[in-house]
Amino acid sequence: MAKIIAVTGKGGTGKTAITSLLIRYLTKGDKVVLAVDADPDTNLPETLGCETSKTIGDIKEYMHDERDNLPPDINKESVLESKLYEILEEMPGYDLLVMGRPEGSGCYCYVNNLLRGIMNKLVNNYDVLIIDAEAGLEHFSRKIFRNVDDLVVVTDGSRRGLRTAERIRELVGELETDISNIYVIANKVTDANHEKIAGTAKELGLELIGMIPVDEMIVERDLAGEPLFDLPDDSAAVQEIEKIAQKLGL
Amino acid sequence: MADEFPFEISPMFEGERIRKDNMYVELAGPKSKGFELVRAADMDDVVDDKFTLIGPDLADMEEGSRYPIAMIYKIAGELVEADLESIVERRNHEFQNYIQGFMHLNQRDDVWLRVGKDAVKKGMTSFEPVAKAIMMLFKNELPFIEKVEAVYITDMAEIEKEIENAKAVYKARDERTRDLHDEDVDTFYGCTLCASFAPTNVCVVTPDRISLCGAINWFDGRAAAKVDPDGPQFAIPKGEVIDAESGEYTGVNEAAKRLSSGEYDRIKLHSFFEYPHTSCGCFEVVGFYIPEVDGIGWVDRDFAGTAPNGLQFSTMAGQTGGGKQVVGFLGVGVNYFRSPKFIQADGGWDRVVWMPKMLKDKIVNDMPEGIRDMVATDEDAADVESLRNFLKEKNHPILARWVEEEEEAPEEEEAPAKAVPQAGFSAPQMMPSNFMPSMPMMSGGGSGGVRIILKNAKVSIEKVIIKKQD
Repeated sequence: MAKIIAVTGKGGTGKTAITSLLIRYLTKGDKVVLAVDADPDTNLPETLGCETSKTIGDIKEYMHDERDNLPPDINKESVLESKLYEILEEMPGYDLLVMGRPEGSGCYCYVNNLLRGIMNKLVNNYDVLIIDAEAGLEHFSRKIFRNVDDLVVVTDGSRRGLRTAERIRELVGELETDISNIYVIANKVTDANHEKIAGTAKELGLELIGMIPVDEMIVERDLAGEPLFDLPDDSAAVQEIEKIAQKLGL
Repeated sequence: MADEFPFEISPMFEGERIRKDNMYVELAGPKSKGFELVRAADMDDVVDDKFTLIGPDLADMEEGSRYPIAMIYKIAGELVEADLESIVERRNHEFQNYIQGFMHLNQRDDVWLRVGKDAVKKGMTSFEPVAKAIMMLFKNELPFIEKVEAVYITDMAEIEKEIENAKAVYKARDERTRDLHDEDVDTFYGCTLCASFAPTNVCVVTPDRISLCGAINWFDGRAAAKVDPDGPQFAIPKGEVIDAESGEYTGVNEAAKRLSSGEYDRIKLHSFFEYPHTSCGCFEVVGFYIPEVDGIGWVDRDFAGTAPNGLQFSTMAGQTGGGKQVVGFLGVGVNYFRSPKFIQADGGWDRVVWMPKMLKDKIVNDMPEGIRDMVATDEDAADVESLRNFLKEKNHPILARWVEEEEEAPEEEEAPAKAVPQAGFSAPQMMPSNFMPSMPMMSGGGSGGVRIILKNAKVSIEKVIIKKQD
């Protein structure tokens, strides 16, 4: 069984950077990872330094548009599975799947149902599934992923970031997805806000499992639009991620 | 089994993905060519268990390379017939995935295979044992196959020669498949994917009736029900035919009772006016009765304008959806327009008077030739009056119904409010453009009774007494 980790948080807090550093950590070991970009903004491929062109959204659209043109007795699950394998970007140590654009106006109940079945099978081929998810957790409400082991909420130093974490925790209660643990990672932490963040997290009853300092190397690469995947091992963020990964049992 | 072949065979290996890192060779797929084909043959033309390879074998292929592949199986047996070919062919996918270290995706000329490095290391150095294992599984699992012979091709030139033949076979098969009708099967399929929005919805998918969402045809229902009979798609035994014309079956009526929790007990699959199919909420197109012309218009989800009845898709969908049986409105999938049984209880295409141009363009080639120019679009008619003029001008078959009405009930023409018997329909009448279109008030389920259509009427009633007739 693959361990499923979802990383989420308010926009701009650095959840995509943290997701890619967690993937970086995992691929250094011998774990086979499925990375999923479930944020419609789709930044994960670029952060990983991986070029993708097609998304799940595209293949759902394909199934929708082509359904009357496909041979009538074709097995649509098998067609969708093959299309999904086509858009899986195969990188050394991990595969990347991009969820992409939202659905059009038609009914996607059937395609989503097929997709759920295919994803359930696909997930078994990996040791870890790591999902970069937007804060609304849309793909969870559609039950494309079930039984998330750890939901990691990334926050910056702001109270709003932590409030988002609190809201996400409430949202999780309403979802039918089974989420075992919720953790918080504080990002872009400075000496000045360190204690304040820890205090607010405690006050809100959120379990803080790591505080990543502001890392000049990440700031530079973000500005230049360069991937974070090949950050050196001595980067402060990389070292903190290592500790976090161990806490997550990775 | 394990001793015979240099690999394990088990259903537990289904869904095993061979990643690029672990791949020895890729066969066919999106970046190459290939196909799989099963042909029924005479007993004398099949040499049982024979395997022929045209082109390089696994051992000749370099690690990390890509080759085309074609897999052709000839099957024979007393009960083997051409209709079974596609069913047997489909099993090649399943059986090849039983083989450890062997991945098979998709079907026909879209197949995509990978062989894992570990499998080759363990001794899978030839296609021969793979083909032999598949032939063994064919005969074990499908006992009607008495003899089977396999030809694999990995030579591009040979495949290119054969692939056109394969495509012709697929095409002929599809034509046969499209020729399957409600009367040819004894099982329909139901679907409850919409049950959360439409709790009383009874979705019945038949060879001549696609699901309302347009996504599930009869074959999809059959495939899904076979894998998981208790899943969202399931079998509905057709039962006895009550009326073939309108599509009423005892099995469907029983399913209707069960699925709607007793709300509905009759459904006529190809009827618009009497016990129509329920409408879920996901339907692609909604049909609406236009009493002024006694015809039916259709509007699809993508049409943002207003139909001649003054309503938009969203309004009619709201009124109709939720799993209700609403006489006068009907949700359908686009493909239902291509059904030879399309609302045949109510006159089929002769009853269709209007649809948005975009929708009409999509299906125009599937419409009966004679009616194509007679069905108005949003470009021809935006309201009932222009629609009526259009129909008159084109001499639409619906005109035959107007004549009948006019002869039957001329004295009602002047009445400001009137009652029209269920069997008849109101004669065409001028309608002010600012008038809120009337929803035909239907008697429950359409079982006899009266249809009351109020037009341009102000009604004040002090007291109404409705009594059951003894």
